[in-house]
Amino acid sequence: MQFWSYFAIRLVQAVFVVFIVATTVFFVSRLVGNPESTLLAPDQRRPEAVERLREDLGLHHPLHVQYGIFLWNLAQGDFGSSWLGGGTPALAAIGDRAVSTLKLGVAGVVFALALAVPLGILAALKRGTVLDWLARFVAVIGQATPSFWLGLMMIFFFAVQLGWFPTGGEEAGFRSLILPAIALGLFELVAIMRLTRSGMIEVMDTDFIRTARAKGLNERVVIGRHAVRHALLPVVTMLGLSLGRLIGGSVIIEMVFAWPGVGRLIIDSIFKNDFPMVQASIIVLAASIALVNLLVDVSYRLIDPRIRAGAA
Amino acid sequence: MAGQAAGQAVEAPLAQRRGVRWRRWLGLSVPGAIALALLIAGIGADWLAPHDPEYINLGGRLEPPIFVGGTWDYFLGTDDVGRDIFSRLLYGARISLIVVGIVVPGAALLGTLVGLIAGWAGGLTGQLLMRLVDVQLAMPAILFAVLLASLVGPSLRNVIIILLIWTWPSYARLVRADVLSLKERDFVTASRATGAGPVWIMRRHLFPNVVNTVVIIMTLEVALVILAEAALSFLTVGAPPGTPSWGVMISEGRDFMNVAWWPIWLPGLALLIISLTGNLMGDWLRDALDPRLRNVR
Repeated sequence: MQFWSYFAIRLVQAVFVVFIVATTVFFVSRLVGNPESTLLAPDQRRPEAVERLREDLGLHHPLHVQYGIFLWNLAQGDFGSSWLGGGTPALAAIGDRAVSTLKLGVAGVVFALALAVPLGILAALKRGTVLDWLARFVAVIGQATPSFWLGLMMIFFFAVQLGWFPTGGEEAGFRSLILPAIALGLFELVAIMRLTRSGMIEVMDTDFIRTARAKGLNERVVIGRHAVRHALLPVVTMLGLSLGRLIGGSVIIEMVFAWPGVGRLIIDSIFKNDFPMVQASIIVLAASIALVNLLVDVSYRLIDPRIRAGAA
Repeated sequence: MAGQAAGQAVEAPLAQRRGVRWRRWLGLSVPGAIALALLIAGIGADWLAPHDPEYINLGGRLEPPIFVGGTWDYFLGTDDVGRDIFSRLLYGARISLIVVGIVVPGAALLGTLVGLIAGWAGGLTGQLLMRLVDVQLAMPAILFAVLLASLVGPSLRNVIIILLIWTWPSYARLVRADVLSLKERDFVTASRATGAGPVWIMRRHLFPNVVNTVVIIMTLEVALVILAEAALSFLTVGAPPGTPSWGVMISEGRDFMNVAWWPIWLPGLALLIISLTGNLMGDWLRDALDPRLRNVR
């Protein structure tokens, strides 16, 4: 199959995924409750006022008509406006928050990759030594630690007791990014490290490494140019899954660290029954996860031509 | 003479193998003991707990555990409204067990079924079912838990529903992958040639061959489900406030973190130990049953 037709198929699949997510969100949020309970004060809830509000918000239409309007607007890139706070367009409100979430996610990935890859390679090369044993021990513990609890513990020790970092928010710039990035990235760190280690152990046993050594290549070239490249292939696939998990996991970390990202926006909007905000932000989140998965699949195909679409 | 020598040659490796097998079981002893303790704690909470887990005693707020100057009466201390932490931990184990007991077998059943059908049918049906898996992957489960909680209020039932929806796809994907290769094998073709129907083939030929995979994922999922329940309860969209769930305990201890460490440390440690145990047992089982799955997670 040609690359572009593969790309097109994957793109259609991604759009389909986002469509299903959008539909689910629409119907679930319509069931959530009536907005007049949060939008109107109790003494304002006269029947005609409620009726007017429902008309303003387009809730007087039957559900299938509302759904049609919703899809039509969505197709044109109109995500609606918040029902609160003067009706900010939902997409604009998300834009600001998305930058924060993205920062957090990128910091989490960088933290995980920067430690996981060297540690995994070292553990594989020094297999069976104290270092390897230690790395695996940390991995087992890290994988079992609940991220939200780890976050709280780090706030307690490093922010409250030692005062090295702020307890939450993002006002302190880089310093405020460190603790949430660690809490978010630890699980991925462990996963990537294990994968790198097992990949390296496998590749060091192959014929082409033996050939490279037999050619008289410097050990550093053998490892750096031959082995590592090969061992990191599965890490690329893993990274896609990691990014998806990170975006999902950032919701709880944002709650722990009072981080002003999309996750907190969604949770706040849900509690306020702000349907358009809920819909728009969940769709944006799902679309970004779908996009990341798409990019990873496509880039994997570019890196490793042996992979054929049928095998995926 | 020759026969005797041959007999000895066989005996030595056999003894060795016994040693290996014995050592292999040793790896399971510690996690197994912890899992057993969890089971006993959850089932026997009514008899083991020294106090009512929900009894509020404002006179005895934030009593420290015994090893930092507390009393034997509340040997793991009390929380911010004077409830006994040890008793709450025991009942928390019960909540975790209930959630795991429903979610893990339920998701395994659903996921295996979908995986079998998607792998066997292929074509449009298979594609559609696998896109369902993608949808789930792109949809952060936490958000739907919050949506559901704001619809019907936080409850354990929500947690169970959300976690079922969240976890079945991992079974479906691996089972499908297994089925895709199994259905090309000769024994399946032979069975088809003799006129066996799809249900028969799935039950008699495919299912027995994927059951190892399913059992391994189930074990590995136990820790994941326990942690997820705690996370949802921590976000106040899981077990209702006041319930002795470990996640709720952490969430309630959070405000007093600076005054007292035990209300938040102890349930957190319990979570860590249990999920460690689950992972170790899963790894052990995977190595014993199917080392191919090493990189599954």
